[in-house]
Amino acid sequence: MTVKRICLASDVPTNEMREFTTDAGEKLLVANSGGEYFAVQAICPHQEVALCDGFYDGCVLTCHQHLWQWDIKTGEPVGGIAEAPLERFAVFVEGGEVFVGSRGALNVGELFSGLSESTLSKLQALAKVEEHAAGGALYQAGDPADDFFVLDSGRIEFQIGRDERTSPAGFMLRKGEVFGWAALLDAHPTRIASARVLEPSRVLRINGKQALAVLEADPASGYLAMRRLAGLIARFLAAPGAR
Amino acid sequence: MRTQVRARNRAYEFEAPEGQKLLFAGLREGVDLPYECATGTCGTCKARLVEGELKDLWPEAPGKKHLKAGEGEFLMCQCAAAGNVTVEVSKYVYAMDPGVCMPQSVSGKIAAVRHLTGDVAALDVDLDSPVDFDAGQYMAMETPGVPGMRGYSMVNFARGTTRQEFVVKKKPGGAFSEWLFSGDRAGSALALFGPLGKATFYPNLAKNLLCIAGGSGIAGMMSIVDRACQESYFNQFKGHVFFGVRTAKDAFYLDELAGFQARFPQNLAVTLALSDEDIPESLPAKYPGLAFDRGFVHEVAKKRMAGNYGNIRAYLAGPPPAVDASIRFLLLEARLAAENIRYDKFS
Repeated sequence: MTVKRICLASDVPTNEMREFTTDAGEKLLVANSGGEYFAVQAICPHQEVALCDGFYDGCVLTCHQHLWQWDIKTGEPVGGIAEAPLERFAVFVEGGEVFVGSRGALNVGELFSGLSESTLSKLQALAKVEEHAAGGALYQAGDPADDFFVLDSGRIEFQIGRDERTSPAGFMLRKGEVFGWAALLDAHPTRIASARVLEPSRVLRINGKQALAVLEADPASGYLAMRRLAGLIARFLAAPGAR
Repeated sequence: MRTQVRARNRAYEFEAPEGQKLLFAGLREGVDLPYECATGTCGTCKARLVEGELKDLWPEAPGKKHLKAGEGEFLMCQCAAAGNVTVEVSKYVYAMDPGVCMPQSVSGKIAAVRHLTGDVAALDVDLDSPVDFDAGQYMAMETPGVPGMRGYSMVNFARGTTRQEFVVKKKPGGAFSEWLFSGDRAGSALALFGPLGKATFYPNLAKNLLCIAGGSGIAGMMSIVDRACQESYFNQFKGHVFFGVRTAKDAFYLDELAGFQARFPQNLAVTLALSDEDIPESLPAKYPGLAFDRGFVHEVAKKRMAGNYGNIRAYLAGPPPAVDASIRFLLLEARLAAENIRYDKFS
């Protein structure tokens, strides 16, 4: 984890929030919740709206454009409108200064964020980091579905069907998005879609069976991950033709 | 024109008629593409051209400031396909719910323009074929020769009707409103698309209603209250309507609002807020069923609603500063859930 100094603790008064730009040009939002500091992405995951223009009551952050809301402590959506979590950063306060560390894709992901630290680090140990050039394929329809993937950066597109008779089935561009999750199901002989790399991309490849064994060993975390997986599947059942 | 829209969750294909804006072409096929104003301002319908060619029907659209230069981005509400196209929308896009009022292109004629105040007119339109809409929705419209569509909310509520009533405020520099106010426009042809908008009211909501409207924003609220009255909704639930204008001579629809109020005197409260002058004595004398207060409409609503937020759904419309101020107090002070605050952002 790379750690950067962001601001003085006194720059962000109790129950207020401020946007900062790191030396690398990355924007993030630092929020003070009753004296505790949290850092999240500065731009709403919905549209390109600055979250610092929104509403913050010390617990819940609301984007002023369409009222997407999140719990500032977890980055999880609340209130029933937001469709995506906020990327969170690890925060350290030392000597009156706020430092922020970026988190790995597993930790911001739609399946595993909020799991116990020990389970997360076991999953992290299973993850193989892969860099893919644009134009390549991660898997084809019909391939065995042994591994699933977590996007770290880049853009992956899905196609259903075979040979000439394929049709696009969406794409993935958000850090932490999970695909190929058939590898986490019991009956998952083969891929039903193919995954193509649209832009240079970094993904984490994790073996499904090994991940399930890790989740079984920590039922509380495993339950959370399975609930999220059920939600993910339900979302794509609601949109036929999806990955 | 064969059009493919690649969304984050899946792709859609539909046939876009020549010259029809891509947003409208998708909506009429039941693809719930993202939009808010549908008239070139808000930038919500931004997409990226992957393949093919587009015709930009309004190159000066103010919403273009939301586009990233050089990345093939465009506004679906202003561009039509010039041949087969593939475009990408970086959002989740779903099919419309079954049973919604399907948006469609329709032509019509201006039946009447009635001046309500010095700069506000009621616009009655006769459509060439009936268009069903929900209370709170709007139509995008234009007249031949005046570039750029404008969105106006329906005032009335009826099923299967060819008559739609709107409120138009004269805006300096607003091409459509200046055209409408600059001569006798009865009989003029209009091209419309709709219904549009998601700040809708259905009587199965089963919540008390709070409507906060500034100026011509009252239009959609009239439709919501009309529908609620038609269904005797206020026998069961309360309604609080706040209508803000600058001075008494800027007020309109007071007879109509008083008429609604008189039908449900126990449960429907209507308050007129004047921001720029004290309440003239003539108003309460003429409208004993209505309440009057001095102040900005969101301040008056906040003051009078204190302690009354049980089981409330709020609808907001009007100038963006009034809508934003209302959202702020409803969220942070009244602690309404975000899903119970409904509005369509036009800017």
